[in-house]
Amino acid sequence: MTDRQENLFLVLPGLALLALAFFVPIGQMLVLAFQGPEGFTLQHFARFLGDPFYLGVLWRTVKLSALITLLCLMIGFPLAYIMAHVGPRARLWLVIMVILPLMTSVVIRTFGWMVVLSRSGLIPSTLRDFGLVGRAFSLMHTETAIVIGMVQVLLPFMTLSILGVILRMDPKLEEAARTMGCTFLQTLRTVVLPLATPGIIAGSLLVFTLSASSFVTPNLLGGPRVQVLAASIYRQVTQTLDWNFAAAQAVILFAGVLLVLIPYIRLVRRADG
Amino acid sequence: MVKSIPTPLRIFAWVFVGVTGLFLLGPLIVVVGVSLSESRFISFPPNGLSLHWYRQVLSSDAYVAAAWLSLRVAVLVTISATLLGGAAAVAIHRRKLPGSETMGAFFLSPLVLPTIIYAIGMLMLWSTLFGPVSILTLWISHTIIAAPYVVRTTLAVLADSDPFLEEAAATMGAGRMQRLFLVVLPQCAPGLAAGAFFAFNVSFDEAVLSLFLRKPGMTTLPVQIYSQLEFSPDPSVAAVSTIMILLTVVLILVIDRIVGVQKFASS
Repeated sequence: MTDRQENLFLVLPGLALLALAFFVPIGQMLVLAFQGPEGFTLQHFARFLGDPFYLGVLWRTVKLSALITLLCLMIGFPLAYIMAHVGPRARLWLVIMVILPLMTSVVIRTFGWMVVLSRSGLIPSTLRDFGLVGRAFSLMHTETAIVIGMVQVLLPFMTLSILGVILRMDPKLEEAARTMGCTFLQTLRTVVLPLATPGIIAGSLLVFTLSASSFVTPNLLGGPRVQVLAASIYRQVTQTLDWNFAAAQAVILFAGVLLVLIPYIRLVRRADG
Repeated sequence: MVKSIPTPLRIFAWVFVGVTGLFLLGPLIVVVGVSLSESRFISFPPNGLSLHWYRQVLSSDAYVAAAWLSLRVAVLVTISATLLGGAAAVAIHRRKLPGSETMGAFFLSPLVLPTIIYAIGMLMLWSTLFGPVSILTLWISHTIIAAPYVVRTTLAVLADSDPFLEEAAATMGAGRMQRLFLVVLPQCAPGLAAGAFFAFNVSFDEAVLSLFLRKPGMTTLPVQIYSQLEFSPDPSVAAVSTIMILLTVVLILVIDRIVGVQKFASS
């Protein structure tokens, strides 16, 4: 056996499984999206793009994903910065604080939000006690609920993306800027932010794709009336059983995600290389 | 470093960390709280303290069956993902094959491609070729999304290992198999172990694939919880969830012992 054969022997089983059980299914889905009773057709796409309901779903998906990404960034950047600058012990605790929710099933985290946001839940009843909202006020089945839940689900991804870049930064750069007379905020703006940009962009793209494609949290917190694209695909597959139409929606989602993912992969590769 | 940050900002930083921590961990705390409640209804803070929802869960056929299925799938996935992912990582790390870089990206692609897109493709392909889904479908598809974690942890551990050990072993007359099992395997062992625990966690907590690839009588724990949440949640859902949260805590502590959570988090 040569070196080459040994390496092939090691990598081929995984590669074969990936090709057959990952890339072929995705190909199959792409084919189904363009398939009608009489062969190739664009009717499923026409149906989607011609229906104001689905266009509304698409718009809501983009809008909410953008908002979720922005909020994750606004919380994730300071959090990552603090994590990078505390001592190793405190950092370990903060990392666990971020990873524990990340590794808990998304179903369970969403359940927690359902309890807190429901009509008798902690947040609405507190708001009611202060007289800020009316008796019937509930956050469940609103876009606000989806945003709150999704930011919690995706914040760890953003934080860890940015943390990776900040930890690789030379801490002397910040010290130098301070010695040269920069204030803390000036240092942040002129040294930290530019250097952290690859992590910020990579994290944002990742959070945007994940949020555009998740349906468990939006389904449970948004309910049937506040639908997003992924939730609509799930309904199509499990309830109306219109697979071609579901595949067409998945292709639209896929295309949108690729638009975002290609720069993401370039960026990550540059950061690693 | 910390010294040069002005005091008001430092106070602000700790308040910020506290609030964010509450935001991140709050939902989990709420779930644990609900599970301890005496009342028949979901309420937080809990009314009274009791463990009777745990007894309820342990004597519920639906939950026990779902847990058993999830456990079987997760164990199978852990084995297959660790074998396939670990072997691939070793070959990719050596960079001897043409296109090793591309292959690495290939193996990690299930991490970036949204699972829903894969799930719908898998459902359609499987139904066309083999008919109804089975535990085999879950095993294969969970392996696809769990293997990248093993590839990643193993590559991370190998990157820090001594590249000359294998060469030294060869010079000393070790055969191919001896080198692989006596030199390379111990070198990647921490990565493989951490990856295996991640793989278990991914499969055990996975909801998206399992929601698409399900049929009556084949329900994993997350799917069972999801269905309960859609229709009639009671505190027993919280009890199951709490057990799953505790399992995650244990897994994180174990992974931290093996490679250090921080190493993984910042890579």
